[in-house]
Amino acid sequence: MTDARSEASLVRYYCTAGNGMEHFLIDEVKLKLAAEDVCQMPGKVLFSSSVGINRVSELKAAERLFLLLKQDLPVQLSANTNPAKAASVLQSRVLGDKNHWTSAVMTWRHLQGELEGRRTTVNPPSTALGVTMKSEEGSRIEEQRGKEEEKCDEEKKSKRETAQRGETSSGETCGAEAQILEKKRKRDSEEKESNSDKNAEKQRTSEKERKRQYKEDDEEGRRKVMELNSCGQNGKRETISDTDLYSRGSVCVNATPEQDHNLERSCMKMDDMAKDFAVKNVEHEKTTGGRDKTLLQPSRIKPEPSSPDPFSFRISCKCTGSLSRYFNTQEVSRVIGVGLSKLLGWKTDLKNPQLEVNVNLSDDHCLLGIPLTRLPLAHRSYIKTTGLRSTVAWAMASLAQIQPGFRVVDPMCGVGTILIEAAQEHKASHFLGMDIDDGQLQKANENVEFAVLGNRIHLLKASSMMLPLPNASVDAVVCDLPFGRKFGTKTTMAANLPLILTEMERILCIGGTLVLLLSPQLSCLLKKLLAQKDSGPPSNQETKPQTGIQDCPSPSPSCSKQQTFQILQGVKSPLTQKTDPRSVLQHSLPPPLSALKHQATLRVSLDSMESVRHDVHCACSSALEAMLELQWVRAGIF
Amino acid sequence: MKLLTHNMLTSHVKGVTKGYPLLIKATEVKVNEVDFNPQFVTRMIPKLEWSALVQAAEELGQRQDLPDELVPEYENNEEFLKKVHRVLLEVEVIEGCLRCPESGREFPISRGIPNMLLNEDEV
Repeated sequence: MTDARSEASLVRYYCTAGNGMEHFLIDEVKLKLAAEDVCQMPGKVLFSSSVGINRVSELKAAERLFLLLKQDLPVQLSANTNPAKAASVLQSRVLGDKNHWTSAVMTWRHLQGELEGRRTTVNPPSTALGVTMKSEEGSRIEEQRGKEEEKCDEEKKSKRETAQRGETSSGETCGAEAQILEKKRKRDSEEKESNSDKNAEKQRTSEKERKRQYKEDDEEGRRKVMELNSCGQNGKRETISDTDLYSRGSVCVNATPEQDHNLERSCMKMDDMAKDFAVKNVEHEKTTGGRDKTLLQPSRIKPEPSSPDPFSFRISCKCTGSLSRYFNTQEVSRVIGVGLSKLLGWKTDLKNPQLEVNVNLSDDHCLLGIPLTRLPLAHRSYIKTTGLRSTVAWAMASLAQIQPGFRVVDPMCGVGTILIEAAQEHKASHFLGMDIDDGQLQKANENVEFAVLGNRIHLLKASSMMLPLPNASVDAVVCDLPFGRKFGTKTTMAANLPLILTEMERILCIGGTLVLLLSPQLSCLLKKLLAQKDSGPPSNQETKPQTGIQDCPSPSPSCSKQQTFQILQGVKSPLTQKTDPRSVLQHSLPPPLSALKHQATLRVSLDSMESVRHDVHCACSSALEAMLELQWVRAGIF
Repeated sequence: MKLLTHNMLTSHVKGVTKGYPLLIKATEVKVNEVDFNPQFVTRMIPKLEWSALVQAAEELGQRQDLPDELVPEYENNEEFLKKVHRVLLEVEVIEGCLRCPESGREFPISRGIPNMLLNEDEV
């Protein structure tokens, strides 16, 4: 709805990316978002784009998306700074100008509004809402109850749940929506708990945002709101702000022309409400008041504090390098938090903040941002059963350089993640997934149906050592070789690798691409196999781009970028090889892998590098053993 | 199993030199409506073994008026592309089996997924 506005203005973002995924993300933002001023640091990519937030949030190689608040030189303290001084230096350096913050928050709200706009227009719940809005007021209340209940559940699943459930079940209109929310919640619960807490919060704030837009014009409503607000403020502030949060969320459900009725109605209830508040404040001093429905019902129209809003916020901090010798992460969070409260009058709220500020301090940079999406971008709404990490699967598909009309095979497809990621991007290509395991195939089948890709992705049961396809019949082979972590064993895979590779090579057409995900050990083995059989000079071998990308302390994106491109070009130049695999090949023969040309090895981490969490403790839980090699080989026989 | 996939499948039973095309013995065939993507069909046609496709459609009784030969300039012939689309993507063998033309080995199809696995002694 606000697309036009967003197209015009350039917004600076940053994304977190898994280890080794940065350059994929750089290519992607340039290609899809016409991003400008792209730069990277380990685990992050910064860019500016004027493309609408909804397209930004569809990035495939990124983990999480943030609005950039500030990117600055690292905060450095001289060796003999005393702690008090250090704190004030930190505060002034990190916080900076007040206007900067307020304008950033404006942008954030605007983006949230747009994202919310899409969410409601795209998601089935919105249609359910559309229907209920036309119905009686009573049913609308029921709906709100349902909605609020859902939200509450997200936070405190155990308490009151049964009681509320019984009550709300009468609200039939919200049935559909509740179901969807239920599903969503199930998915959410797979996320870390802390994550879902925050997510739930974000959803609420964005709803609040939407409602704000409707309300902006409503002078009358605003005045009442102010009155209410003032009476509310006599009570415990914290409780009320929470209530605001909830009630705002619920008002947005009702943001229709009929809103006036609501206002009148609730205006009459105003006195009662104030009483309610007084009572509740005593009763639930520290709890989030919004959980109580009797309180929520009337307070629905209340919120809308005058600007500037007393935002509730929380600092999520990651602090490394020399600075961490002065402060631990908690201390940094506190220093910045206190500073921000003073500067803007915001309130800290560790549990359910409206806004989260991510702070990254290291010897190389000082980076501040606000998360923009509820779920990580790496979470794919179209995948039912997750297998391989979606970002890595996408990266593999992008390496396969799939063109319209390509036939792409994954001979060990598992639940089909790579094919689904590839088929999402390539609408005119045919994907064939094979596996020997019925259980995996069944899940893959469900995944394909869930993603509505049944026309392009077909499945069959077959062994990777005996592919039921003719020679030179496919354009690309992509495969996440089981390497013993979850499936198969290292020894059998090592023993079978030559044969598997032979088969892959056999079905590949000349010039076809092979993309494999391997453990470092298997990758070594593969390179040995290739070196043995390769008569030609090992061109392009071992250009290890990851050293340039990961370990380079100074962010020099253009440099590492060039490196990647060099590899790409190496592929296209024809390499003269004499052997024709078709004539040589019989299945049980020792593998003449001469037709495969090793192009590049890329190192990626299979776990998300979500070390930038709000809590202090989990600094770097991402496991090193998940480092894998992405091998890119192409049959280049002419 | 859709006929687009069938068009690629070969039998690699030991000793077989040309295990293609596989004969279809279907006990359950479904025809589902699938969104027509002319680009997809146009791009796939050059990769097809046309006679194998016609034969497969014939075996399933779904050939209708699919011509023996590929129509020239099919790119702009929407009517033709739709026919091919139907045969390639809408016709689906749910239950049945595929039979190697040379060795007679049968590969079962169950719940739409063909099982092309061979026993060790067949490799």
